[in-house]
Order: sequence, then structure tokens, then C-alpha cells
Amino acid sequence: MSDRLKITLLLFPALSIIIVLFFGGLLVGLMRSFNYMPVIGLTEPDLSAYIAVFTDKEFYLSFLLTFHIAFTSTVISCILAVGAALLLRRRFIGRAIVNFLFQLNLTVPHLVGAIGILYLFSQSGSFARLAAQWEMIASPSDFPALVFDPYAIGIILQYVWKEVPFIGVIVLANMQSIGEDYESVSRTLGASRWQSFRHVLLPLIFPGMLSASVMVFAFTFGAYEIPALLGANFPAALPVLAYRKYTDVDLAARPEAMAMAIVIALLSAVLIYLYVRFSRRKAGR
Amino acid sequence: MTHVSLQELTKVYPGSVEPSLDQLSLEIASGELTALLGPSGCGKTTTMKMIAGLLAPTSGDVTFDGRSVLKDKPEDRGVVMVFQNYLLFPYMTVAANIGFGLKMRKINQTEIDQRVSEMLDLVKLPDLGSRRPSELSGGQQQRVALARALIVQPNVLLLDEPLSNLDAHLRFEMRDLIRNLQQDMGITTIFVTHDQEEAVVLADKIALILDGRLKQYDVSSAFYSRPIDKATALFFGGQNFIEGQVETGVFNSVLGKMQLPAGCNNGAGILTIRPENIRIGQSPDGLNTVTASLSDKIYMGTQTRLLCQVGDSLLEVIANPNDVQEYEVGQNISLHFPRNALWVLPS
Amino acid sequence: MDRSGTLLGSGFRFLTGALLITWLVLPLIPLAIWSFAKGWFYPSLLPKVWSLRAWEYAFSDTSGVLDSLWLTVGISLAATVLSILVGVPAGRALGMYQFKGKSFIEMLILAPMIVLGIAVVLGIHSIFISMGLTNSVSGVILVHLIPTIPYMVLVMAGIFANYDPAFELQARSLGASPMKTFWYVTLPAIMPGIIVGGLFAFLVSWSQYILTLLIGGGRVVTLPLLLFNFATSGRNDITGAIGMIYILPGVIILILTAKHLSGRSGAVGGFGQI
Repeated sequence: MSDRLKITLLLFPALSIIIVLFFGGLLVGLMRSFNYMPVIGLTEPDLSAYIAVFTDKEFYLSFLLTFHIAFTSTVISCILAVGAALLLRRRFIGRAIVNFLFQLNLTVPHLVGAIGILYLFSQSGSFARLAAQWEMIASPSDFPALVFDPYAIGIILQYVWKEVPFIGVIVLANMQSIGEDYESVSRTLGASRWQSFRHVLLPLIFPGMLSASVMVFAFTFGAYEIPALLGANFPAALPVLAYRKYTDVDLAARPEAMAMAIVIALLSAVLIYLYVRFSRRKAGR
Repeated sequence: MTHVSLQELTKVYPGSVEPSLDQLSLEIASGELTALLGPSGCGKTTTMKMIAGLLAPTSGDVTFDGRSVLKDKPEDRGVVMVFQNYLLFPYMTVAANIGFGLKMRKINQTEIDQRVSEMLDLVKLPDLGSRRPSELSGGQQQRVALARALIVQPNVLLLDEPLSNLDAHLRFEMRDLIRNLQQDMGITTIFVTHDQEEAVVLADKIALILDGRLKQYDVSSAFYSRPIDKATALFFGGQNFIEGQVETGVFNSVLGKMQLPAGCNNGAGILTIRPENIRIGQSPDGLNTVTASLSDKIYMGTQTRLLCQVGDSLLEVIANPNDVQEYEVGQNISLHFPRNALWVLPS
Repeated sequence: MDRSGTLLGSGFRFLTGALLITWLVLPLIPLAIWSFAKGWFYPSLLPKVWSLRAWEYAFSDTSGVLDSLWLTVGISLAATVLSILVGVPAGRALGMYQFKGKSFIEMLILAPMIVLGIAVVLGIHSIFISMGLTNSVSGVILVHLIPTIPYMVLVMAGIFANYDPAFELQARSLGASPMKTFWYVTLPAIMPGIIVGGLFAFLVSWSQYILTLLIGGGRVVTLPLLLFNFATSGRNDITGAIGMIYILPGVIILILTAKHLSGRSGAVGGFGQI
């Protein structure tokens, strides 16, 4: 058997499932977003769904909110993750526990974290109760709105909780395989601790950090259940809005939902491009 | 020009009982090129890291020109370390790598560029400034690492196994480059190696460290002619060890009576002689000559290795192939032990 | 490095470490407490009355929690087995061979790891409707393959990249048939990868929400769907109990595989989706 045939046969099952289901889904979504559904006689594609979406103020608000959620969560997670990885590189009392919890956290589904955040930060949650005990607030409504709030603080808190370990574990592994010798060299060449971090360690871990961050950004941009549980009703995060339109009793809203999904997919495609570019560079090192 | 002094330098790593380095004291004169020689794991790299300030000693002191530097941060010591695998920053060009130390000192870019190009000329890589480290050969990478270290004009230069990753023909080229630059710039230089040949070829003086302790610190030739004990002699490829007694300048053993050079103390000892110093045939005065039986003869091209049996001792002799052509295995052979090539080790 | 051993440094590290530990366990604490609470009202810091009521409910035959648990286990197991069957060959192709268009194929297979969520789910739903696969367990299993396969392929490609096929040639030259070679040589060598990849694929499937919700059409109620419903209906005690049950497989798998979760294995990549 030639290698070519062998490779084709080996790849066939996985590729066909992914292509039919995933890319097929993408294609069908694209077609429906253009109101193109030959099955039910719609053979004239048009832009009405996109026009409806792009003239709707709620879409822009949702888009901005979702971008804010994804961007803020990713940046905060990334910074804290690098800090945590720097910490975990050193010996200290409790390192084993932090390590374990990092890994534990990776296995806990987002939904559970979201419920935990809800019970912690809602206006009758644990922190509100703590504030009441210390007589900082008189009634639950005095406690700042941290969930169902317009700034999506609860959602961001949940993502940070979940993604710091994710990025952290990747960055830590990166740091451990790089070792400390590069920094030692730079120290003896006259770099201070900060300069060694800034000019040596950071560029070395950057590709790994970036590809992990891209995954986090894409996930947080497209995830449904966390904003559905912790988000405000209006504006809702884009995935929530798209889901609502899709399940609307008015079937005419479905193409709009598809159009929103395609916008999210396009953004993800850009991210994939970045991810592949940077993970290549990492592999090339 | 910096005189480096290590005073009872000791390092015990957390969680281990045995010290990795045990009370190492060493005086390294200004501008000298010194080798720290020892098998891997003997504490050489630990010593270098403590000199560089990358590792704090458990006890003891490191002084430069009489001043303790233990409290100085690594970046303030003026000590540059060149690692064995060079560790060029992969995401920077060669020029940026070389200029790194100057950039950290916030020197302006024009001056950095100028000094980098001088440095590139000095290490004979004038056109490679814009390359990436991954595009260079091992020898070129080493030159860049050396240039990156020398550009900051360090007081002390530390090299980790500087020749060991290089092909045989590159080793001498690099050796000459290191020696020339080091002597021109007068930088006190310390390098570590596990390879006695590398140490002998490159260093002014060698400090042999075995099991975390300093065994002998001397000029290279002393390790061949006057090793301090059997372990040292073995490390330098010594082969012939015969136990016996010293009595007023004469060594009594299975070899009979051997006239010793001056300065050997009475009592039990181990007589040693380098295989290449044993001569074939009788001595002119008949002294220090032994008859042995040739038990093996191995032709090695430029030399011939003989194994000779005397009593129950096996002696190794390295001779010129022409001198031993007529001898065959099983024959008797006269061996002459020149008085000044003999040395007695403590038993 | 030099100053890492100082008292100040280790004190700082201890403090930040303690802070990190607190933050990491914090969201799980109210969940655990709620599962043992009976009427835990504002502003009590701890429940006035402790009770096993929520757990009794969860384990009763009438609540449907156990049915949902077994259903979820079954779906995740099936998705895992299928993704192993499909992912191992693909991982072998990508890990062991260099060929034209390899990076393009890699990108095709790994794309679902980045673009998932709502972006493609709606379109997938349309496809599944036309294939008559909605509202069924088999449809849910099939749709779970979309996130689990890329993940399995990624892990197996890593395993095969470090695998020397010369062992197979050696076995063949010693007279083993292709089947026997696979069984006695290849399989034992890649088994650790299959186990770790499979366990993590299980977790990826275990944590799917929106795919199950849409494709299952509300008829296939897996544990996360049940959990979401209880969480939004304000039954905090039962939510707590189901939440604890829901994170259990992850904890068990973590204990089994802790050393593979170091991020170095590449296996961690898939956790972006859990």
C-alpha cells in the first residue's frame, strides 16, 4: 500500500465526520443566513438577514458586550496566569496544593463555576451576606450588582476563575521546558530581574501564551451557557441573542440568528489564523 | 583585571545532606585563565554559578580584589557566564544578541551598533549580524555567545565546557580565539570542563575537583609529573601504580630498587610513572632498569602500546613503533625508568 | 535564582499562593454547602439547619437525576469510544507522516477546537434536522464527536510523533501478521496515549451544554442540562447536590492522570472547551 493511500485511509473517518458535521454546519449556516434554502423553495439568496442584524442596535450592543467579555477575561486571565506560573516555578509552602487545584479546576465544567460565582456574588450570595454581617450593607439591594449586571462582571469573574489555570498550566509547562538558564545568561550580561523577565522570559513564553489566549478568547466569545446563566437580559451576549433569535417562535428570525453565528465564526477564523501562525513559530523554535 | 578569591566556598542544596561543593578555596590571579576540572556532578557548575551570583553559597565567601561580592546582584558583579549550549536568544538576531548587555545598560543604539560590528569582526563573523541564531553552525553560535559576553567588558569571564560541543578541527581554532581575546583584554577567565585534554590545552592553571573537594591546583604539567594522589593521577590518564616502600631516596618493590628524585619522604608509597616516560632498553648506568615479559603489544599508528608483566604487576608502556619492532609477545624486554620521571604517591 | 531563598521572597510567595488557593476553591464552597442546607436564607453566613434532603432527592428514583447521570455517562462513553476509533488512525497519519497539505488538514481537524460555541451549532442543528438526527440520543452522541475528535487526534498525533515505527517492521520481520503486530506492538506502545486522550475526551463530552441542548431538543436531558434547569429555577440545594455529582468524574480522572495534566503533553489544549 502506498503511503499516500495509507494516509488517506487513516484520515478518512475523522476528516469526513469533521467536514460533514462541522464545515457542513458552517456552510448550512452561511446559506441560511443569506435566506438560501432550496429545500423549502428559497432559491434567491439575499442580504436581508444581515441588513436586519446590522441595523439593529441590540446587535451592536451585544457585540460590544461580548467583545468586552472575551477581551477583558482573556487579558486578565493571561496576566494572572503568567503571575501564577512565575509563582509555581519556585518552591514554596503550598505549591503542591496550588498545582492540584489548578488541575482540578481544568476538569470542572464552566457551568459549575458559573453557578458557584452566582452563589458567591449575587445580591443574596455569600459576599453580600458577609457584607451584611459586617454591617456594610443594610439590604441585599445595597450590594453592588456583580451578576446579571451590564458590565458582565460575574461572567468575567467566572472566566477568569476557569481560564487562569488553563493558561497558567500551559505557560508553566512552557517555562519549565525553557528552564532558567536563559535568564541566568541575561542576568550575568547585566539585565535586572525585571529586564530579564521583560526581554528574555516573556518573548520566550509569548507564542505559547498567545495560542492559549486565542483559545480562551474564541471560547469566551462563542460560549452560551455562562452568559445565559450570569448575564443581564439586555443587552445579552451575542451567543445568547443568537440562540434566542434561533428559537424564536417567529421562524423569520432564524436567518438573523444564522447571520450572527456567521459573524462569530468569521471572527473565530481570524483567530485560527493567528493561532496557527504563532503555534508554527513556537514549533519552529 | 580582577583577582578572584574563593574562600571555603560550600554549597549544600536544600534537601540534600552531602555538600555539592565542600570548602573550596582558590586564588585566581588577575588575567589568568583557569580551568575547574572534574567529572560531571563534581560541583564545577555550582561553583561558577556562585561566582556569577546566580546561586547563593551555603557558607564561605567570594571576593574580587579583596572585596566580598556575595551581596552584589548578578547584574552588578561584572561577571559574564557563557553556557555550554550557548543559549543565544532565539527570537533575536545575532546582532541583537551581541548587543543585549549594552541595551540592558541603556546605551544608545548608535553606539551599540558600532560596538556590535567591532565585536563581530573580532570573532570573525563580520557578515552574520542580521541572521537568526538557528541559522548558525555550532561553532558560529559559540563565537556569538563569546562576543555577547565580551562586549560588556566583564571583569571575570566564566565559560562552561567551552570546547566540548565542537568538532576536533574547530576546537583548536576556538582555543586560539579564546586565548587571544582573553589575553588581549586581560580578563580573568575561569572555565569548567570534565575533559582533562580541554583543560590542559586551554588553561594556565588547573583546579582539579573530585567529589566536591579541591584535589590539586597547579599548572597543567604538574598533573602529569607530580600528581598529588592516585585519584588525581588516574584522572589524568595515569596507568602504572606500584606499591612499595621509600627508604632514603630508594623505592623498594617488585621492581627491585628504584632511585627516586630528591624530595620523596620515607615510608609506604605508590610509585607512578607515565607510560610514555618509560624507555625501552638498559639505562647507561644500569640503575632503574627492570626486565619484564611482554604480554601484549598494540600498534596504534603513531605509537605502540606495550603491556609488560613484572611479578604480578602489569605495566603500560607507550613507545615509538620503530623502537619496539623486534619485540614479540612472550619475549623479555628491558625497561628503563628515568629517575626524574618517577613520582611517589601517598598510599 | 539568587534571591529566591530569602525570607521576604518566600513569605510573599506563600501569601500569593494562599490567595490563589482561596480563589480557586471559593466558587465550589457555596455549592457544596448548599447541597447540605435546608433553607439557607439571607443573611445567614451558614445554613441554620443541615440536611441530606437534597442528596436524598438526587438519589431517589423519581427525581430523574440518576437517569440523567447514567444517560450522560452513556453518551460520553459512546462519544469517547467513537472518537478513539476515529482519532487514533488520524493521529497516526498526522504524527508519523510528512505529506503535502498536512498543515491544511491539521487546520481542518483542529478548527472545531477554536470555532465552536454558537458559531456552528445553529448550522449543525439544521443539518441534523435534515438527517433526522435531532431529539435523539444518537444525534447527541454524534454531535459530541465534533469537539472530542480534534482533541483525540491532537493527543494521538503527539503520541505517534514520538513513536518509532521501526518496532512494527521488526515485528513483521520476526513473522507477526499485520493484525498481530498491531495488537502486540503498536497498541501497547500507544495505550497510555489512548487512555489519557480517552479520559480527557470523556470530560470534553461530559461538559457539553449547548450542543446537547439544541440537538437533543430538550428530550435528551444530560446532567449539565438538568443542572442548568435547577440553577435557574432557584432550587439551590438540589443544584448543589447535582453540581457535586457533576464534577466527580473530573476529580476521579484528575487523580488518575495528574501527571499528564502538566501542559507539556499537549493534552491540556482541549480543556479550553470544558
